[in-house]
Amino acid sequence: MRRKQRTATAGVLLVAAMALTACATGGSDAADDGTRAITMGVTDPGTLTPGRQLVAYDFNMAVWAPLTFLESDGTLTYVQAESIESDDNTTWTITLKDGWTFHDGTPVTAQSYVDSWNTVAYGPNAFENSGQVANIVGYTDLNPAEGEPTGTEMSGLTVVDDSTFTVELIGPDSQFPLQVSQAQTAMYPMPESAFDDLDAYNTHPIGNGPFELQDDYVENEPMVVTAYEDYAGDEPTTDQITFVPYTDDTTAYTDVQAGNLDISSVPASRLPQADEEFGDSFYSFEAPGISYLGLPLWDERYQDVRVRQAISMAIDRETINDVIYGGAYTPATAFTPAIEPGTPEGICGELCEYDPEAAKALLDEAGGFEGSMEIYFPGGGGLDEFYNAIANNLRQNLGVDATAVPSADWAEFSDKRTASDIDGPFFSRWGALYPSQQATLRPFFVENGGCANCIPWYDESVKAAIDTADATDPGDGSAYADVQELILEEFPAPPLFFETYSYVTSDAISELVTSPVGNPRLTHVELAD
Amino acid sequence: MSEQLAPQQAPLVAPADRSVWATLRSRPLFWVCSVVLSLLGLIALLPGPIAGLFGQPDPRACTLADSALEPGGAHVFGTDLQGCDIFANVVYGTQTSLFIGLLTTVLCLVIAMVLGTLAGYYGGVADRIVARLTDVFLGFPFLLGAIVVLNSIGARSPVTVSLVIAFFSWPTLARLVRSSVRTVRSAEYVQAASAMGLRDRRILLDHVVPNSLGPVLAIATTMVGSVIVAESTLTFLGVGLRSPSISWGLQLSTAQSYFQSEPHLLVFPSIFLTVTVLSLITLGDILRDALDPKGRS
Repeated sequence: MRRKQRTATAGVLLVAAMALTACATGGSDAADDGTRAITMGVTDPGTLTPGRQLVAYDFNMAVWAPLTFLESDGTLTYVQAESIESDDNTTWTITLKDGWTFHDGTPVTAQSYVDSWNTVAYGPNAFENSGQVANIVGYTDLNPAEGEPTGTEMSGLTVVDDSTFTVELIGPDSQFPLQVSQAQTAMYPMPESAFDDLDAYNTHPIGNGPFELQDDYVENEPMVVTAYEDYAGDEPTTDQITFVPYTDDTTAYTDVQAGNLDISSVPASRLPQADEEFGDSFYSFEAPGISYLGLPLWDERYQDVRVRQAISMAIDRETINDVIYGGAYTPATAFTPAIEPGTPEGICGELCEYDPEAAKALLDEAGGFEGSMEIYFPGGGGLDEFYNAIANNLRQNLGVDATAVPSADWAEFSDKRTASDIDGPFFSRWGALYPSQQATLRPFFVENGGCANCIPWYDESVKAAIDTADATDPGDGSAYADVQELILEEFPAPPLFFETYSYVTSDAISELVTSPVGNPRLTHVELAD
Repeated sequence: MSEQLAPQQAPLVAPADRSVWATLRSRPLFWVCSVVLSLLGLIALLPGPIAGLFGQPDPRACTLADSALEPGGAHVFGTDLQGCDIFANVVYGTQTSLFIGLLTTVLCLVIAMVLGTLAGYYGGVADRIVARLTDVFLGFPFLLGAIVVLNSIGARSPVTVSLVIAFFSWPTLARLVRSSVRTVRSAEYVQAASAMGLRDRRILLDHVVPNSLGPVLAIATTMVGSVIVAESTLTFLGVGLRSPSISWGLQLSTAQSYFQSEPHLLVFPSIFLTVTVLSLITLGDILRDALDPKGRS
């Protein structure tokens, strides 16, 4: 999801990008005056409000504190929450820690959470991340299919006292504590002042986290956050973070190389050389992202499961990973990323292994493939080499006339995919916001789950199996294995890679730490002396 | 072309010993450019057999495991990131580049001849309209215009890219035709034809157009070169041709990301591009000199 948006913005404005990036290099180490300050290259966010932001995860995770935090070792710790408990996985009681305040000094109460979640859910507000609260009872009342909603509050949220509230879900869901962890930003609290003027709040958001925003947000200007003195949680290792917007992440990458910037993500075209250029300062964080090769199941040529399996076996994932991604990814062997607990790695078996002869034999057995195959992907996002490599694989191993065709931009691609208006294989990926198989299976395999037509196969039995697993999972993800078996049988789309999110740092940083969502943990950055 | 023109206009403008062909023939550079361009023309006409000279006739036969091989062995120019033979790709790219260069120039030439002749010969309102029209197009930044148009059309084939470049490049040529036609219009043989009562159409086609064509053709040759550069630039910026087209611009665009580690990806398409454009521009200069001895420095 987060990379997806980046793809969208990068495309059209190439010339503008070339003009603008020249002057975007202002932010540098402010370490001269003794403060522990770092800079990070980001995409200009546009919106900062947690319920609305699409590309401001790092900023949000610095300015707000989540209820729970999933650590790298897989344990779930409480941050703002004292406890989150349920007897039936349907009604959850959340108790907050005492003494926490927002940056404006007002206390963080149960009411703050309830009001925030209601604001996020309220249809007319059109908050981009409202899907994150969609499983709370009453969400549909605030988002009627037609007309105005009758109320402004979800009936599933009840304030018990200042530090306790209950959440009633539409069905049993064992993964709820994960759904309020660090990257589910729509679940962050907002202070009372926010609700009076949401636009003003977006210009100057006030959170409950370790850092507070200094000045009002101005588009394409660096955002400076400094450590919040009265923060009740663990003290961060830095005093100040400056988020510097870049229109082209290649420029940010080069700026880190030049020492003008401390942290930047690595664009795909730089992955093969990043290790060589940065050595220890190159980090590839395992992330809950997975890419598939989406197949147009509305086209009869892809109806035979053997055709889909042949396509999968004709793709040389190992070599593509080495050549295009510098070995940063992992060839997929299951239908959810390996970092998601309980993922049955290897379930894909030989279907995910490169075997050109077997693939060709399987395709011939299925009656071959007629006509040409145009692999369609969003242009302008640096994906060209990846899809060209897949097209070459399919052309040479299956004898199909395969080519890779980029769209003009993300919007064109997204529109066509949503409208089922693609007649070849296509780009399909999802970066989950919390590492649970649920967070990958739902968007892909449940209709309106989030990733429309990413895998255009919506089967009742799969949905039922996901619901059952949601209700019964003991916490290790083992309940979702049944779902993956069902998917394997139909094999609606070949899984390609378990993704990593890659970053490079300047000499000012000795260690960049991550969490299972794949982003750097900015409160725990270790500075070099 | 100039060979056909020379005898026709020789009695009128130049003594026989200063004919265009004689001037061209005596310049070694003319022969160098001609040979280079003939070779490129041959490559463009027969890309398959020529790419096959070194055993790799198919530009799309790519083995990812052979990614970015150095020049030598089975791949005389090495392989690109996808493991495709660079020689085969450069050879096929020649076809695309020359096609776009020639098509665009022919399109421009047709528009320019029609509008420029009308404006130059008739003057008055026609002249003013054409002058304003060319002003409008010349006042428009080419790169910006091309990017906007190319981004708004979905499919980008060599033909569409040609059309877009032609759309923005004809005015220069039209102005040239206009001034050239104006010079010829006041020539005595045109006045004589007019006095004899010949119809405008006959005068234009028999006398004015052929005699104003010379300088225009020289510039048009140069233009083929600049169009090829324009195509490469647009493609490099990501708004020109797209894969699966094969073009030098596309190869350069891919190579830029990997230039530091794999310089040969960039070098070979660049050499072909430079040599082609240099030959065309030099040839254009030589032609201009030969056709217009007074303008020679």
